Amino acid sequence: MEQNLQKLFKASLYQPEGRLSGDVWVAIESKSAQITKWKTFGYLGLSVLSLSGSIFSIKSLIEQAIRLGFFDYLSLTFSDSGSLATYWKEYTLSLADSLPVASFVLSFFLLFILFISIRNTSQQFKSKLLIA
Amino acid sequence: MNKSDEDIIKEYIGGDENSFKSLVDKYTSSIYNYSVRFVGVDYAKDIVQDVFIKAWKNIKKFDNDKASFKTWLFTIASNTITDYLRKKKMVQFSSFDKEEESFESSIPDEVILPDEALIKLEDKELLNNTLDKIPANYREVLVLYYQEEMTFNEIGKLLNKPLNTVKSHHHRALIMLREILS
Repeated sequence: MEQNLQKLFKASLYQPEGRLSGDVWVAIESKSAQITKWKTFGYLGLSVLSLSGSIFSIKSLIEQAIRLGFFDYLSLTFSDSGSLATYWKEYTLSLADSLPVASFVLSFFLLFILFISIRNTSQQFKSKLLIA
Repeated sequence: MNKSDEDIIKEYIGGDENSFKSLVDKYTSSIYNYSVRFVGVDYAKDIVQDVFIKAWKNIKKFDNDKASFKTWLFTIASNTITDYLRKKKMVQFSSFDKEEESFESSIPDEVILPDEALIKLEDKELLNNTLDKIPANYREVLVLYYQEEMTFNEIGKLLNKPLNTVKSHHHRALIMLREILS
């Protein structure tokens, strides 16, 4: 009975349109192109945002570093190496103290986001070219 | 030598974008015929497209240790069809689900569906019309077992139902076939 029923089911199969699998593949490719397009726009937007954020945060980092005397301490490295060797502990602490940590972390973070978004944007462009 | 589905998936995940197309070519007809049994010829094409797009989107989640690609793909098809039927309010489920334990397992299948009934089913249109009258949850067991030649175990995995429930649905589906034919 089992084999007979199998035969009956097989005999009553419908034949899909010849190009159905082709149509399915076209639908997948078009979905893929759509996803790539949205991802490209997303990463491009993120690149622009992180670039403008980086510019502001680096500008603020430099201003704060000047105000806290970070560059003055840094210039000592090149001008008075004798004293540095003697008071290196104090020097290191002063240098670290004059560093605007929050701005530094923010700038670093934004630059990292910028790098990732540029890399992903270029990947999306590459896959777009492959699809085309 | 023919590549296995799992090898093709590995190639696709490895970056060969076109390898997925061979899976589409291989399973389009099966998924189409499975869908036709539930939604009819007019909507089966849309279901097939949905199923493959879902499979393509989720291919990285496919786990060969849990089920074969065919079982996984038919699970997607079954869920897509159920969603579609629910939206269209076309779904007809049997009320026997709560009385699984009391099914007539002692009656052999051959007795339920004798040769005379099978002869009637040789009429393609009659078979399709008869299947249409069987509730969807019983019909899917029949279609997967006889049309796709899956085992009860595979069907259980696919439908996320215990083995006994699958066997019970199969048994009841045969009883219904007989009743409709008589």
